[in-house]
Amino acid sequence: MTAYLLRRTGQAIVVVIGVMVLTFALIHLAPGSAARATLGTKATAERIAVFNAANGLNRPLAAQFATFVKQAAEGNFGTSYSLHEPVSTLIAQRLPRDAVLLGLSTLLALLVALPMGVYQAVRRGRAGDHMLTVLSFVLYSMPDFFFGLLLVALFSVQLHLLPSQAPQAQSVGGVLADPKALVLPVVTLALVSLASFSRYMRSSAIGVLAQDHVLVARAKGLPEHLVLRRHVLRNALLPVITVLGLAAPAIVTGAVIAESVFNYPGMGLLFYQAATSKDYPILLASTLVVGVATVLGSLLADIAYTLLDPRIRYDRG
Amino acid sequence: MPPLLDVRNLTTHIRTGRGTVRAVQDVSFTLEAGETLGLVGESGCGKSMTGLSLLGLLPPGGTLVEGSSVRLDGRELVGLPDRELRTVRGNDIAMVFQDPMTSLDPTKTIGHQVAEPVLLHRGVSRAAARERAVEVLGLVGLPQPRRRLSDYPHQLSGGQRQRALIAMALANEPRVLIADEPTTALDVTIQAQILALLADLRARLGMAMILITHDMGVTAGNTDRVNVMYAGRIAESTGTDRLFSRMRHPYTQRLLASVPRLTQDPALLLPTIPGLPPDLADPPTGCRFADRCPYATARCRAEEPQLDGTAEHRFACWHPVDGPAPAEIGGKVADAVAGAATGGGEGAAATTGLAEGPAAAGTVVRPRAPEPAAAAAPLLEARGLVREYPLRGSWLPGRDRRVVHAVSDVSFTLARGETFGLVGESGCGKTTLGRLLVGLDRPDAGAVTLEGTDIGTLRGGELRRRRRDLQMVFQDPFSSLDPRMRVSAVLREPLRIQGIGTAREQRARVAELMAEVGLPERGLDLFPHEFSGGQRQRVGLARALALTPKVIVADEPVSALDVSVRAQVLNLMKRLQAAHGLSYVVISHDLAVVRHLADRIGVMYLGRLVEVGTAAEVHRRPAHPYTAGLLAAVPVPDPAQERAKRGAGIGGELPDPAAPPSGCRFRTRCPLAQERCAREEPALRSFGPGHTAACHFPLVAPAADSPSDVAAGRP
Amino acid sequence: MTAADPGPVAAGPPVPGRPAEAGPLTAPAARRPWAAALAGNRRALAGLVLIALIALFCFAGPLLYRTDQVTVHLDLAQLPPGGGHPLGTDANGYDVLGRLMAGGRSSLELGLAVAVATTVFGTLYGAFAGYLGGIADALMMRAVDTFLAVPGLVLLLIMVSMFTPTLPGIVLLLSLLSWLSPARLVRGEVLTLRTREFVQAARMMGGTGPRVVLRHLVPNAAGVVIVSATFTVADSILMLSTLSFLGLGLPPPHADWGTMLTGGLDFLYDGSWWLVYPPAVILIATVVAFNLLGDALHDALDVRLQRT
Repeated sequence: MTAYLLRRTGQAIVVVIGVMVLTFALIHLAPGSAARATLGTKATAERIAVFNAANGLNRPLAAQFATFVKQAAEGNFGTSYSLHEPVSTLIAQRLPRDAVLLGLSTLLALLVALPMGVYQAVRRGRAGDHMLTVLSFVLYSMPDFFFGLLLVALFSVQLHLLPSQAPQAQSVGGVLADPKALVLPVVTLALVSLASFSRYMRSSAIGVLAQDHVLVARAKGLPEHLVLRRHVLRNALLPVITVLGLAAPAIVTGAVIAESVFNYPGMGLLFYQAATSKDYPILLASTLVVGVATVLGSLLADIAYTLLDPRIRYDRG
Repeated sequence: MPPLLDVRNLTTHIRTGRGTVRAVQDVSFTLEAGETLGLVGESGCGKSMTGLSLLGLLPPGGTLVEGSSVRLDGRELVGLPDRELRTVRGNDIAMVFQDPMTSLDPTKTIGHQVAEPVLLHRGVSRAAARERAVEVLGLVGLPQPRRRLSDYPHQLSGGQRQRALIAMALANEPRVLIADEPTTALDVTIQAQILALLADLRARLGMAMILITHDMGVTAGNTDRVNVMYAGRIAESTGTDRLFSRMRHPYTQRLLASVPRLTQDPALLLPTIPGLPPDLADPPTGCRFADRCPYATARCRAEEPQLDGTAEHRFACWHPVDGPAPAEIGGKVADAVAGAATGGGEGAAATTGLAEGPAAAGTVVRPRAPEPAAAAAPLLEARGLVREYPLRGSWLPGRDRRVVHAVSDVSFTLARGETFGLVGESGCGKTTLGRLLVGLDRPDAGAVTLEGTDIGTLRGGELRRRRRDLQMVFQDPFSSLDPRMRVSAVLREPLRIQGIGTAREQRARVAELMAEVGLPERGLDLFPHEFSGGQRQRVGLARALALTPKVIVADEPVSALDVSVRAQVLNLMKRLQAAHGLSYVVISHDLAVVRHLADRIGVMYLGRLVEVGTAAEVHRRPAHPYTAGLLAAVPVPDPAQERAKRGAGIGGELPDPAAPPSGCRFRTRCPLAQERCAREEPALRSFGPGHTAACHFPLVAPAADSPSDVAAGRP
Repeated sequence: MTAADPGPVAAGPPVPGRPAEAGPLTAPAARRPWAAALAGNRRALAGLVLIALIALFCFAGPLLYRTDQVTVHLDLAQLPPGGGHPLGTDANGYDVLGRLMAGGRSSLELGLAVAVATTVFGTLYGAFAGYLGGIADALMMRAVDTFLAVPGLVLLLIMVSMFTPTLPGIVLLLSLLSWLSPARLVRGEVLTLRTREFVQAARMMGGTGPRVVLRHLVPNAAGVVIVSATFTVADSILMLSTLSFLGLGLPPPHADWGTMLTGGLDFLYDGSWWLVYPPAVILIATVVAFNLLGDALHDALDVRLQRT
């Protein structure tokens, strides 16, 4: 197992380096310069040169990259061009808020999706399965923003039940203190992931249900609910864990939209604003944060897999 | 007093996308305590579905048709609510399934899985259930049962897993045990151990047993009575001895005759059953066997025969036979070659043989391609082949470099027109050796030479040209043909790659190949999945023949096929060899198959060739205890012989090939092993012309002079 | 059944064998796995029919229902449905029904273009990575992992913020993001196919690497590829609408459903429902149709698929 995890970690490190190179290259090879974006299109060549020198943009790319890596390792991502604050401070403020939003919504999605997938697998081909299948397809096929706005139109504008804005508090505690305002963003994000999670669970459970050991369990005289709980659920969960690890980018995408719709001051909104104002330090840093989170997510998923699957736990190495 | 189990008119229908499959039709039998009933037949005959129907474990869409009755001790099980039926499952009636690899939940410990039915049905405490698990695991002969409780299934070997599955079934001392192909996935040595265990347990616990199997040898030695099933119905039902000596149903007769036996004359073709079983979604109106039966008349096709006869012997046939078919019923290999050249083939010989005796006697016999003796230099030679695979993770610091010793110092020769058979248990390295021979894998040491050229030194175009001479036939006819190619493209591909002939010539050659393997030309436009397993294997043979190779390596060519189809393919291989002067290397775990095809046999154990000799010698006078044990473990379709040898065979299981035992690798399982065997590796010694074995304490006396060059296995 | 005809032995070519010995060939019920997978699968059929109807609406519709989608008519802005405008007009005075057709054309074209581009490139990339194995495979797959680690929307936002979006540009961008999934899937498929015996058989005949990849591996991975292409169409249409929502879509006069929906959302609360629901319904219906089709094919072909 150690050997496998070591190799897996090695791969993760390579990918993180890849992410750094990719984002850095992407931003610095772009034609629209940061200086013009920050200073406006009427800026003189002189002012641009001063800006570039001040921000080290006139040095060779390789040197800039080296500086970027070195400073990133120290947690220093420079200062935002537009907000004039250290990027690390901005991220440190917002990351916990994202943890709350994304954590709650993913948890909610899983709590509904896993039983739903198993139910569909058991009732495969019957009315209940078909109905839930149609539901998940419609959910999956709806643009996230439209979905969020529909919920707002219904629950805030029409029924006046829930606020249309997410909590604006700075601290995690403040966010949690306003649970009513959290409902819509969390539900929007959860329903978006619900569709794909439940589809995975369904097909995984169908696969497990067809296996011999399930028949053996039934031949023992085990009632069906115990067959499902003891012999199907855990086996069916294993492949879903891997999928969960890979779901991080999709969840982040959802966050960008949901934060724009509900005006939730998280990383997604920060990133979106930075993209429109060409705020390189923020773009670079948040892309890196997301990339590392994704890599960590799939690494953690693989580790969880090895812990849950006795075949890997004992076999590898 | 009612019988323990009384099954009447059991009929199972399964609704599928293709229509209703009549999987089990009107099956009736009884079973008494202490008795073993065999349910025998080929795949798809309904034997497994019968077993599952007894427990009410039907697949989705399956129903027991009105009138079906299963009584256990007089209590009707059909129609019981599921809750009550569950108190019977795993308690009164338990089941052991075929594949021990997939029948255990991979995420639960053995202890949990064995204790589960006890906890469920006996209402005892967790601790008591665990104690019971220890007890039954001990009962089924699992070493150190208490330590096994916390193991996961993948930590056990195949044989151990099957023991655990049996323990699970026996945990509540069921009155009826249904064993569905309990040894099919196991090696022949392990099979013998498990069958002996089942017989012993049945006697000790006084259970009744239903043994579901396709293997006539297993049936012979392990059952009291037999139901032969065909296409969902019972074709014949009687006592085991009577079935093997006085069978009445033509299907039983042909099925039994088509099994290759160790004692069979290899010059004779195996009798075959032409054609395929009917589609159970649309069964024929009359006798379901009529289309494949040599005696079928108009009545058979119109009217379905009922199971009839005396209480001891019932059969469903309008034209019953009386006893087994004569051995020469299939005809001779040489005749088949002649027949093929004139429009017959083994199919003709087989289908007419029964009525008219050996077909085409007295035709001109084409001489069998050059005799082995005539070829001084061997065609193919393996010299000191070694292949080792590093284990995953062995590159880590602080860890020993562990390697799997797949093939260790193997040498043998193959003469022109000869067949060399390689046998051994799974994991003995025979498949790796086969891949080395055809150049799909390269040896770490040693060389394979074809007509004096070391194929390992060839590169690029030269290698590609030489590949023509060495072709391979694979085990799995479902995986060896590209599912997205029509058969015409499959057969043309080798010619295209090698740039042989114009498009027109290639098409002509492809048509010729189809005819040669007995497939109709219109099959060329079909995709592989439209063929049956046996037909696909014929396509595989045709593809191997396309480049007119000198040597064909066949890796388990028939082990994926049903008995009756197996005989067809074996006959075809013999006929092709005789017609084209081919040399074969046949790799198989089945000694009877190898004995039937091979002139010489090599026995492999854990990467080493432990004995080589002519097929007759190895069979009659095995020198190595492993060979003898392997021979003893092969189930023979003869009840008297099988019962006599119960308990014979080899104990234990194959050791870890990454850490083979010192000295003689077989010593850990050898009844004759002594201290010297652990210390010193035995060299190959001569036991007569062309017969060598590597053993310190051989079963027969070695030849007086033991020349050193026997190491090369040269005759 | 007739007896073999014992005659003199000639050394000529063998004559046709007897079909009976090998058994009858099965009826050609399942001649083409594709056709079989589709027929009798209601989900796939529903998806296909829906796609056909929508395509007909978008491509044949304008022939029957001509509208001016170029000139702005502010005097005709925001007309409710009725009269000459069955679905009313938008803020620029464009006929909404006609605009749905025009917008659908570009949405569908974009989805298909992205699907084709990514499928071809991703398939070849994945097939060769899987076939080559070893270090080449490791490097190629780390590159894929790298792109996968950065959410597509994030990359898109960065790039769209740097370039002015054009239709070919957006196709290129979306393709850059979407080839990863087919590449991974095909590689996984090839890794399992590679061990199959028919691939070894091709090597036995002397078949070369590219031949094995193109003749055997790619056709056999076609199932996964087509399923993933179907999903790509759906995802691309969705992604384009998301870009529009974020104000980074194609600039006017260009029409697509996402832009229409986003524009309509401004009037969500003032009763101009015809600006919101028609584009939303047709957009969702299209995406559902492609997802249904892909999912049904996936089940029918028993393809192991991971949508990533």
